[in-house]
Amino acid sequence: MTAPTTTPDTVTNRLDLLLASLGGPGLPFSAETLAELDRAETFPAEACAFLDAFGLRRYYVPVEHGGALGDFSAVMTMLRSVSRADLTVAASHGKTYLGAVSTWIAGEPEAARRLGERITHGETVSCALTERDHGSDLLAGEVTARLAPDGGWLLSGEKWLINSATRAGLVTVLARTAEAGGPRGFSLFLVDKSRLPAGTFSCLPKVPTYGIRGADISGIAFHDAPLPEDALIGAVGQGVETIVKALHLTRTGCAAMSLGAGDQALRLAAEFTQGAQAGTIPLARRPYIRRELGDAAAGLLLADAVGLVAMRSVHALTGEMSVVSAVAKAFVPSAVDEIVARLLQLLGPYGLLGAGDPHGRFAKLERDHRIIGIFDGSSLVNRNALIEQFPRLVRAYRKGRWDEAGLAEATGPHVPLRPFRSDALSLLSGDGASVVAGLADAVAQVRAIASAPLAALTERVLDATGRLHEEMAQVRFAPRAVPAHAFDLAERYELCFAAASALHLWVRTSPAGGDETWLRGCLVKALTELGDKVDDTELDVLDDLADALVSRPPGTFRTLLDHLGQAGPADSREATAS
Amino acid sequence: MPLPDSGVETHTVDGLRAWLTDCVATHLDRPADAIDTSVRLSDYGLDSLYVLAVAAELEDHLDISLDPTLMWDNPTIDALSEALVAELAQTHV
Repeated sequence: MTAPTTTPDTVTNRLDLLLASLGGPGLPFSAETLAELDRAETFPAEACAFLDAFGLRRYYVPVEHGGALGDFSAVMTMLRSVSRADLTVAASHGKTYLGAVSTWIAGEPEAARRLGERITHGETVSCALTERDHGSDLLAGEVTARLAPDGGWLLSGEKWLINSATRAGLVTVLARTAEAGGPRGFSLFLVDKSRLPAGTFSCLPKVPTYGIRGADISGIAFHDAPLPEDALIGAVGQGVETIVKALHLTRTGCAAMSLGAGDQALRLAAEFTQGAQAGTIPLARRPYIRRELGDAAAGLLLADAVGLVAMRSVHALTGEMSVVSAVAKAFVPSAVDEIVARLLQLLGPYGLLGAGDPHGRFAKLERDHRIIGIFDGSSLVNRNALIEQFPRLVRAYRKGRWDEAGLAEATGPHVPLRPFRSDALSLLSGDGASVVAGLADAVAQVRAIASAPLAALTERVLDATGRLHEEMAQVRFAPRAVPAHAFDLAERYELCFAAASALHLWVRTSPAGGDETWLRGCLVKALTELGDKVDDTELDVLDDLADALVSRPPGTFRTLLDHLGQAGPADSREATAS
Repeated sequence: MPLPDSGVETHTVDGLRAWLTDCVATHLDRPADAIDTSVRLSDYGLDSLYVLAVAAELEDHLDISLDPTLMWDNPTIDALSEALVAELAQTHV
């Protein structure tokens, strides 16, 4: 079910070329243009229009509903590319997918087809979940839909801090449909503003924000707005279930956006430190700076491993997305926030003096990125979701139970992905997390083909993962009383998941004697963050990563996928076996 | 906090009700006879996310795969016991 006419690789490459061609002075994707819009808090309409003309919207609509979305990794890779240029543009344009996804999951086929048509013709769709007084607590929502006497529904109440609430023509709204509320007390409605009588809705003023200043972050209030019967998405009472499943997909997309920002941060810091001289030596060659750059490069590769495995898991380990998406959304934006903060220290004072002022661009990126860790459920919300699943994760890990075929597909970057089936999404992973449960198996394979130092690192990751699960098994809590130390365990779980992701990817793509640098960088970074003692010779790999980073031509990005090369022997084996 | 033992035949409404009562009592750290099986689990503070953990334990106990939303559609121990017996009957045909 991949797109029939073009391969995902081709379309992502074409988008990269388009973005590059629109990045020159005065053009809509130039850093100066985007910085000016940000300063003026103006929506980047022209940049979004170019993405429309490119056809990016078609990738928000599944193939079966008339669009081009077959392979999730393709659309997420494209959002990563847009995020490198500007997160305001990416968050604003990508919002339409979040607006529509509930209909893809739970809507009638005819409703989905109609929505697909509206989107491909240029309609923006928003998704209104949160309310002024309730934040992430969706079950506290007060916006209410009640049955109208003459059929249909009457919608009342206010949704606030909603991306694109004002600009969108269609808004997916979560509303209370049973007075008592509860997980079956809410339903989703696709509200078509153009069909609402005047005076039955009003858009709220744009809210000034710390980052993504040009985005339409506003709200919408309904005043007994009459909705036709077919505005209901799925069944009455299915709203929370549908949204939780939708977030399994969109949280993974957030990780992709975060990686785009990370790509740009690393590139800006590399070019700045390479160009800036302290005496006759570029800053990037100074030991401390070099080590910091290498640490950032390793951190980004580790986050990239999670993002890559997560977006492939949408297809290959669909039933495990309650774990995978929570890890991706909690880990990747936090990791990138940390990378950005540390790199900012490197170029801070010098950036202020530079003629092109890279500091200015960097500071905008830092502000813009901060929101990614918060929207679609903050890191805390996602860690809480992980902790709720600890007992099951522990059981699956101890039993050595995992989905072997799904794991091979999720971590074999060149294996064709099976079609995505939304009915395989589950509120709770039945199999725990195959990526982590399959770690021991991958470590055994590494032992057979890797150098002794690499094999030793992987053994330590395995030890740390085993110890962590013993600690996770001890966590017991009464309802709504998650102990604080469980959040530390969740963070360590994310690191083990990340290291395991990197390991699986390496095993499936690297021949014996192949390059080990990127994987050693990932494992050294993960072990350091896990509090494991990493010695000086092991840390030297970070300098290798730094040197590779600064030796690349300006303006180029190298993602983890580029390190994984073409289909290797292990990959072809899996592909024919499945 | 050990979970109730599954040694006895529990695949009747009564048996499942007893097992679920013990299970919920364990989570709430209360005696089993303090649990009313006709009261909504949410009234005991088992919120929509937490109650999914009970679904996971049920799966292990009964050795079947359940849609976790079963917990949402049958909000009391009584309703859940009935639904599980129906579910088990289907699984074993």
